[in-house]
Amino acid sequence: MSTRVAGRVDAARPTVALLPASRRPVALALTGLLALATALVLGVALGNVAVPVADTLALLAHRLLGWPVSVTWPASAETIIVELRLPRVLTAMAVGVALALAGATFQGLLRNPLADPYVLGTASGAALGAALAMLLPIQVALLGFGLMHLLAFGGALLAVAVVYRLSRLGELNSLTSVLLTGYAVGSLLAAGLAMTMYLSGSHLRQIFFYLLGSFSLSSWQQLLVGLPVILLGCLVILGRARSLNALLLGEETAAHLGLNVRRERLVLLGAATLITGAAVAMSGLIGFVGLVVPHLVRLVVGPNARLLLPLSALFGASFLAFADLVARMPGELPVGIVTAVIGAPFFLYLLRRYRAGYAL
Amino acid sequence: MVVLDFLREKGKGTMDSLSQAPRPLAGRGLSFARLGLLLALAGLFGCQPASPAAPTPAATVPPTPTASPAPTATVPPTETAAPASPTLIPEAAWPRTLVDDEGTTIELAEPPQRVISLSPANTEIVFALGAGDRLVGGTDFDDYPPEAAALPDVATFTGVLHEAVAGLEPDLVLAAGNNFTPADDIEYMRDFGITVLVVYAETVDEVLADIELIGHALGEDEAAAEMVSEMEGRIGAVEAATAAIGERPRVLYQIGSVPEIYAPADDSFLADMVGLAGGEPITTGSPTAFSISVEQLVAQDPEVIVLGDAAYGVCPAEVAARPGWSGMTAVRDGAIRPVSDIIVTRPGPRLAEGLAALALAIHPEADIEPPADLLALCAEGRAVR
Repeated sequence: MSTRVAGRVDAARPTVALLPASRRPVALALTGLLALATALVLGVALGNVAVPVADTLALLAHRLLGWPVSVTWPASAETIIVELRLPRVLTAMAVGVALALAGATFQGLLRNPLADPYVLGTASGAALGAALAMLLPIQVALLGFGLMHLLAFGGALLAVAVVYRLSRLGELNSLTSVLLTGYAVGSLLAAGLAMTMYLSGSHLRQIFFYLLGSFSLSSWQQLLVGLPVILLGCLVILGRARSLNALLLGEETAAHLGLNVRRERLVLLGAATLITGAAVAMSGLIGFVGLVVPHLVRLVVGPNARLLLPLSALFGASFLAFADLVARMPGELPVGIVTAVIGAPFFLYLLRRYRAGYAL
Repeated sequence: MVVLDFLREKGKGTMDSLSQAPRPLAGRGLSFARLGLLLALAGLFGCQPASPAAPTPAATVPPTPTASPAPTATVPPTETAAPASPTLIPEAAWPRTLVDDEGTTIELAEPPQRVISLSPANTEIVFALGAGDRLVGGTDFDDYPPEAAALPDVATFTGVLHEAVAGLEPDLVLAAGNNFTPADDIEYMRDFGITVLVVYAETVDEVLADIELIGHALGEDEAAAEMVSEMEGRIGAVEAATAAIGERPRVLYQIGSVPEIYAPADDSFLADMVGLAGGEPITTGSPTAFSISVEQLVAQDPEVIVLGDAAYGVCPAEVAARPGWSGMTAVRDGAIRPVSDIIVTRPGPRLAEGLAALALAIHPEADIEPPADLLALCAEGRAVR
């Protein structure tokens, strides 16, 4: 399917005359850091209740840095900033990192530009798990997570495990069969989801809400449980950028380069699935981030995973934090709608502009 | 079931101008010119309850097209200025012409004997009027009185089962407006020649008017009048008791809490109830939205939180532990109290009891007789009894 990309790893991109190729990653990293800082400040300062910016900054300095600032703000402002907005912004960033990084990994691993974190059944598995949780008359509360979160996490991991077994991804097999297996398993799970939704009666709204994704239920507790899982998976992936680069050349070439293809595939797949599962458990199914952010980065710096992975993580975090900010300004929109509405036109624009020399 | 009542609530308050003044039954008569327009509108916007109060007191019973055998059947228009009193309507007046809450005129040749109810509230009203033996079909969420559950179900969460309706050969179907009964289903039944009366109340006064409307349709006018006057007495007593306390705390009536927090919309039925129960309702700031952000709640700082979803397992301890809620006055004061949402939100005969329960949740010290046979809710909380 995508043999055309082989051998292009470090080829100079024939477009983007704005900067010499060697400086582009640096410029992009600085832009990303600036965007992240802006998203953090705006995300905490803005919301559907107005808190003066001066109060916000003084409050953060007081609470986080321990500066001796005199308290001039109402207690409600402190609750809003520290207990509601801050964990929310940080959760959005963590989920953005996870989805963008998982997307970049799946795209490289499967050598398919349409791959995203949900391509091997994660989304359908998580959605079915979450929907089933609504029908079960069991109430679980574990460290800020309910039965829905736990089953969504489990469903995501299970779906990918099934696809992995069925497609014999562990062997040196055609990637097409993996994608098709993922599609078939996903379709089966989607049918189960549709049936569950049909039977769910009054819980329908709750399931629908989950399917569109939201950060309105974020809390410190959830973040403190989810973040270590995401960090672990991210470190594993970032540490294997070299393997991902080799796999981009094709399995045989990678094997000739001395790579243990089966093991590297399994580790990368496992780590990407783990962080995707953690992300969907924390925020529901948020589309588009994992598909588009890696492409955006790749358009500018090329497919080298050593640059692609960290920069994708950086931009995933700021993109999702901004999207969540937009989502909560008018009241409370599902963030999945916002990511698509902002992301799709921007992506189309970039594709047109850079169309000449783009490849995975 | 939260969502069922919630869906019924949804969209209420869009016609808030109507809810300002009590709407007597007389006000439901519409001039025919207006009616034509409304029917056209109803066709276009099936879900929108088209029931503007007629500005002038029109005839309670529009003259029937067929010659009426009894001259007494026509009610003199002058008598309708007073709030509706069904005694004005002669018992013998059959055939009857009624205008439902969506402005549709229906005709009943004789007292209906095979009645289908498409909402739990309508079912309760029919039973309370003593006409339960005339019901031949109901919904799968009828739960009160207990014998209502035994009725054949002809409507579920997803819609009306038309074959089941047709098979029961009803001479009157009592549907609920505002898409509780889907508008398409109502039209479909009417196309089959089935007589459908749509009721839809936006305020407590309109619930009372609906009870009289259903009573009139069934020929149980006297029972309806008696029930309404009893309910008015109870509502008046609740209002007096809460007025005597003098304070009107800011009240969050939590309709639901999964996945978001749901509170009454502006000018909605529930906001009306909270106001009557002696509280200042915290609303969503929009006449159509029912979700409210925690940020807004923190800023508005409720003094009392009433858990309308207590019957579905949401209890005070869990609410107090939610992130960001600990600073609210209601949480600090422990003023989080469960109520049974069905009697508070269901526009039926038990609504006055629901109002009493709500008033006691807001003002536990109020001199109000507690409602009978309440559910025991949230063992660890202070269940309203």
